Amino acid sequence: MKTSGSLENIRKFRADVEQCMKCGFCGYFCPVYRESRMEKGLARGKNQLIKATLTGEQGLTRGFYEAIDNCLLCKTCVQYCPAKTRIDRAVTAARADYAADAGLPLAKSLVLRFVLPNRRLFGAALRFASWFQHVLPGSGGRFRHLPHFLAALGAGRTIPEIAPRFLRSLLPENNPAPGPARRRVAFFPGCAAEFVFPETAAMLVRTLNGLGCDVVLDRRQGCCGAAAYFSGDFETGRRLARKNVSALEGYDSIVTGCATCGAGLREYAVYLAGDAAEKRRLEAFASRVADFSEFVVMLLSENAGGLQLNPGFEGRKATWHDPCHLSRHQEIREQPRKILKAVAGLEFVEMPGADRCCGLGGSFSITHFEASKRIADLKAESIAASGANLVVTACPGCIIQLRDAISRRRMKVEVAHIGELFSVKGAARADNPG
Amino acid sequence: MAFSEIIDSLVRIAGRENVLTEDEDRRVYSYDATSQWKAMPDAVVFPANTGQVEGIVRLADAKGVPLTPRGGGTNVSGGSVPIRGGIALVMTKMNRILSVEPENLSARVEAGAVLMDLQGALAARKLIFPPDPQSFLGATLGGIIAENAGGPVCVKYGVTKQYILGIKAVIPAAGRAVEFGGVTVKNVVGYDLVSLITGSEGTLGVITEAVLRLMPLPAARKTLLALFDDLPKAGEAVGMVFDSGTVPAKIELLDNWVIRSINRTAGMKLPENAAAMLMFELDGRPEAVESDAAKVMRVCMAAGATGTTAAGNDAEALSWWRARSAGFAAVFSAAPTVLAEDVTVPRSRMPEFIRKVTGICKTMGLEVTVIGHAGDGNLHPSVLTDQKNAAHFEKAKIAVDRIVEAAIEFGGVLSGEHGIGLEKMKFMRRTQDPFFIEAMKQIKKTFDPRGIMNPGKIWED
Ligand SMILES: Cc1cc2nc3c(=O)[nH]c(=O)nc-3n(C[C@H](O)[C@H](O)[C@H](O)COP(=O)(O)OP(=O)(O)OC[C@H]3O[C@@H](n4cnc5c(N)ncnc54)[C@H](O)[C@@H]3O)c2cc1C
Ligand code: SF4
Ligand code: SF4
Repeated sequence: MKTSGSLENIRKFRADVEQCMKCGFCGYFCPVYRESRMEKGLARGKNQLIKATLTGEQGLTRGFYEAIDNCLLCKTCVQYCPAKTRIDRAVTAARADYAADAGLPLAKSLVLRFVLPNRRLFGAALRFASWFQHVLPGSGGRFRHLPHFLAALGAGRTIPEIAPRFLRSLLPENNPAPGPARRRVAFFPGCAAEFVFPETAAMLVRTLNGLGCDVVLDRRQGCCGAAAYFSGDFETGRRLARKNVSALEGYDSIVTGCATCGAGLREYAVYLAGDAAEKRRLEAFASRVADFSEFVVMLLSENAGGLQLNPGFEGRKATWHDPCHLSRHQEIREQPRKILKAVAGLEFVEMPGADRCCGLGGSFSITHFEASKRIADLKAESIAASGANLVVTACPGCIIQLRDAISRRRMKVEVAHIGELFSVKGAARADNPG
Repeated sequence: MAFSEIIDSLVRIAGRENVLTEDEDRRVYSYDATSQWKAMPDAVVFPANTGQVEGIVRLADAKGVPLTPRGGGTNVSGGSVPIRGGIALVMTKMNRILSVEPENLSARVEAGAVLMDLQGALAARKLIFPPDPQSFLGATLGGIIAENAGGPVCVKYGVTKQYILGIKAVIPAAGRAVEFGGVTVKNVVGYDLVSLITGSEGTLGVITEAVLRLMPLPAARKTLLALFDDLPKAGEAVGMVFDSGTVPAKIELLDNWVIRSINRTAGMKLPENAAAMLMFELDGRPEAVESDAAKVMRVCMAAGATGTTAAGNDAEALSWWRARSAGFAAVFSAAPTVLAEDVTVPRSRMPEFIRKVTGICKTMGLEVTVIGHAGDGNLHPSVLTDQKNAAHFEKAKIAVDRIVEAAIEFGGVLSGEHGIGLEKMKFMRRTQDPFFIEAMKQIKKTFDPRGIMNPGKIWED
């Protein structure tokens, strides 16, 4: 057995690690466990293994890694745990200690360290799939630990096209509001909006313009780093965090349309601070981050009446899928529903289990492909049960996963980002960007 | 035969992916929900059907390998901890609800089905399986039957054994699955072996399926709270409620420790200085529920409650019961080691007994919380201690001895619902007739001559 590494992070999150009282209630909620029915996949099992590293009983072994790798970080266990155990923190900390001790698998570290931080290279890599496989030796030609939305590209899912023009060639750096501006905000597109959904991102920017915001697409920002540090590569996470924080901390608000980026930016403070001063700086940064729907509702002062439905969505029956990174990581549940209920021309229905994880969970969708698909199937069943013909959400990863599950089942349901649905009344419509 | 050959045989029976032997896989089957019992199995096996269980039991029996069944691992008695090593037989993959028959008010399930999943499937047909151990999110029907679990509604509905019509179990002596009982409520064909297997804690055989007796979902339910400035006074109120001719579905007792805990974790706003709270649920026809509720509140006030209140709607009631459940769960982890008792005394002696328990702990300088299913005198006095602090732990153990002795003296029993397992084993000889223990040993020999089933539990060898 390998000896334990420094356990620096596990120690730091000791309170979370030791909180679990083994009641087993999480068995009903943990999507991974509900598929595998094996304790090592259960929140309780993961937590007990992590706890056992502190007494020296458990080493940072390959088997240990399998347990902590087998987690969506969906926080469903956290939501329902009677002891309020934050398994996501214990797992993330354990991943970091494992990575520091054993190193990340080669393919993963190559992508996380070199490709993602460098957008030009990343863009090129995506264009040339063959070259991509070349940077992923030993991964069997499959993508590992890419940003959540891109992880889904491997393993036989319906693959979204890489956009012909990336966001930064679609929009300028400064996008002023048409009239007098009420505020100046930074827009954080994240990799998905940059490379795969730039048109949607452009619509979000227009909506913010319409609501009186000067929107800056600060060219100094980069990948949010969630994919890296949620999978334990704190070093890359720190590098990206520092880059984004120094680029964006001067803005009053940093708005993103990507639930994962939002969670990633906000949680820098939880995991990545080197010292107390940096922690304060990251916390201050986190307090400026806003999700798009949260921000829009705030601007409309809790009244979404100033929005109008874009053509094509008229008369649709819409339901909302809560991305884990939005609902449980950022506690944003009401705002998107407010918008969907207020915009005239749309019928809103709740699906059963709207906040159940779609099963993507970043690299989980690759490393645990079958389980990921089965979890997505459950979501597709919920959608079908709601009778909706439009699923609205706010996370590119979820969008890809849901589209795939829906098309596999040949359901006649469209999946859209909430920002595609509406524009601001009276403002120039945003369906024709660029 | 080397253990590796046993592993090979297990793999042939259950398939490679269902036999685990890595350290980590064994470690996560070394515990249950207690704080102090732990032992690693040598192998973990997940059977997919009764046929595989038969193969595994025959193999273990032939080789004399200990075999410990496990469901959700939520028991609080050390029951599923494989204390002698061997095979952990984990039933969680056999989790189907095989049939629901509304016209017979019955359902057939596999042993690994989780209670909450069953209740979900039944609710759609306006049916319930009454036993409600508060671990329903994790406990399996197999574990519930093996522990003869109870829960808050036992006050009115009784415990698990009243709701088991039939059991299919693989018995080592038979070398195969045997059907006990049947599907009818009336059945007096010979000895009642269904009841014998119910509560046998995995020591007689492996339950693979069960036929359950169901009830229609009550038309109405109402939840009430009553607060008290004195713990025994709450105990007295319980007696007075029964005396008034009302049988609530649930009566739960929460002490000050739990009240403060749920204020913290569930955001409830109960008075921090309340010494005790009773939670009632009334069910039945809507009019009856309303008038009973009014009566219970009146009786509580007459018994000296400082206040009573009713949940405004089902959602509020649910949130209160969730909080109660979380509060109880919190007790089991309130300290590094928690000695959670499960004694049960006649309802009429409850106030006296509570006084005795708090007295014992106070004079010994120990922290204790007293919670429980007050409606049936089943209390969980839990002494907070730390195994690593030898002196403190010794003192705590002495306190527990005295609590148990007091319960027996008051005409009560050692365990109301959690079972004996490892945790209560040491009290058996002291509290039970020697013939009773001897008879159990003989029964075990008849079912399990080589003693492979969950060895080392219930009685000390
Ligand atoms: C927070 C909390 C609250 C609880 N509340 C209650 C309560 O209100 N009432 C109550 O009675 N209990 C309660 N319990 C205790 C526990 O949940 C019950 O004992 C439950 O019945 C155990 O079910 P399980 O599936 O988890 O079984 P396990 O813990 O896995 O096993 C329990 C015992 O059953 C045996 N067993 C399991 N499956 C089988 C099988 N298929 N065949 C043969 N033997 C088997 C095991 O060997 C073991 O001896 C609570 C526990 C917790 C943690
Ligand atoms: S993580 Fe929470 S719900 Fe799961 S066993 Fe631990 S305390 Fe219970
Ligand atoms: S975060 Fe999600 S996948 Fe991970 S243990 Fe919790 S419930 Fe399971």
